[in-house]
Amino acid sequence: MPKILVIEDDSDMVAALRMPLEANGYEVLTASTGEEGLQKVKEIEPDLIILDVMMETTTAGFQISLQLRSPDSKSEYAAYRHIPILMLTAIHTTTSLRFGPDEAYLPVDDFVDKPIDPDVLLEKVRALISS
Amino acid sequence: MELEQVLACLTDGARQTLQADAAAVRLLDLGKGKVGAHLTVAAVSGLPTVPSQQEPREIIPVEHSPLDEKALSGQPTIVTDTHTDPRAVSVPGDYRSILCVPLIHKHNSIGTLHIYATTPQRFGKQDVALLMPLADLGAAAVAAAQSLTTLETLEASKAHFIRVATHELRSPVAVAQSLVRGVLKGYAGELTDKQSEMFGRINRRLDFLESLVNDLLDLAAGKATELAEEETAVAINSSVGRTVLLLQPRAEEKGVALTHRVCCEELVVWGAEEGFDRIFVNLVGNAVKYTPSGGNVTVSLRRVDDEDEIEVTVTDTGIGIPQEALPHLFEEFYRAPNAKVSNEIGTGLGLAIVKDLVDRYGGRIDVESKVRQGSTFTVTFPLFHLDE
Repeated sequence: MPKILVIEDDSDMVAALRMPLEANGYEVLTASTGEEGLQKVKEIEPDLIILDVMMETTTAGFQISLQLRSPDSKSEYAAYRHIPILMLTAIHTTTSLRFGPDEAYLPVDDFVDKPIDPDVLLEKVRALISS
Repeated sequence: MELEQVLACLTDGARQTLQADAAAVRLLDLGKGKVGAHLTVAAVSGLPTVPSQQEPREIIPVEHSPLDEKALSGQPTIVTDTHTDPRAVSVPGDYRSILCVPLIHKHNSIGTLHIYATTPQRFGKQDVALLMPLADLGAAAVAAAQSLTTLETLEASKAHFIRVATHELRSPVAVAQSLVRGVLKGYAGELTDKQSEMFGRINRRLDFLESLVNDLLDLAAGKATELAEEETAVAINSSVGRTVLLLQPRAEEKGVALTHRVCCEELVVWGAEEGFDRIFVNLVGNAVKYTPSGGNVTVSLRRVDDEDEIEVTVTDTGIGIPQEALPHLFEEFYRAPNAKVSNEIGTGLGLAIVKDLVDRYGGRIDVESKVRQGSTFTVTFPLFHLDE
């Protein structure tokens, strides 16, 4: 059963993500802070990380993705660089910011906009885990 | 005119009229709580320090300045020699003569006007007579500029509040939508028909709430000048083209033919690209929304040579707008009666947003409509010449 780590501080949003994912046979593990999330990446070695862009601070999600994808080979997360990251964002549709995955600036693999459409979510999760 | 300009005119004008060496305007603040009534040096002329918005200004408690106190009670005062007159306190330099007159607006003192000269016994009664009409006129202009500033501040803080409030609202609405969508798709277990119907209703209401929050945010962003996006030369053909592409699937789904009459050369206007996109998405979106299946929506763009303008028209064969609704169409939260009874979700904010943006880019918007026949919205913008 593929393991998905959801790093999200809103427990209701976690529930909304968990519902379609568990119904489709994924094991969902959660972390409610960036720090806890980074810790769990090491412990669980998930097949996919779903990361909220805004948590404690507006850029907490960016910071986590930058740490996980640090190009430094001595980084404590170097062994986990390959894990795909799907970022949850509300920014995408609601501001003029149109960012895409960018290796240097925002090293994530794909985005899902909030509110979550469960079918869009599942499609992206499938694509990222099989790749 | 802005307050700073008004004050500068007043101090310069007063100094020149009396051929004096310096002038200053002190504005009254009645104070709150522990801070009592005080005067702030708001503008100076002929003095080395020019207070600006950024710097903290000199503050003088009314009770510490006998000259100001007397002027505020409505009486002009002349100090013939600052070296011997004990009332001459907070003099901004080595000036020997002072003339201090009240700034009175609608029977209330709003501040004082000080005129300084380096020689003693410089001012007399004739100077008071000369200065008073100028002070009265100045007071009226200052009061008008102050209320404008207050209004602008109020408008900006209202916009700020809406922005913060809508950001806070958007997050829980998005969570609720995400949960309901999951349930509706059956990921929380199979639903009965009744449950499906009820969750469908919840979903629809949440979608409405989402568009309301987004529209409010757009409107607040439009009102707050500090949030205005940077304006550049914008190719309007692309904006219109993008809009039609974006809305084509929705039109097809509804069975409405959405046609884009592509025009001539690339036409350029001045504004923010996102703002133009928002204008056309709202107008074309409305046309598709209020046109029943089998109808047409046509978007065309042309250059009006005589006027050096660009005209975009959005014509539909939809439900139309009753005559009595036309004057209210661009009011916030207004929806025409036939739009309200239609099954379409609408916040009544879209056209208010459009109007705000069109005004901001120096354009005009007109509408012609007949109930059950359709509507035509025409927006016109001044053509921007790249060599300008």
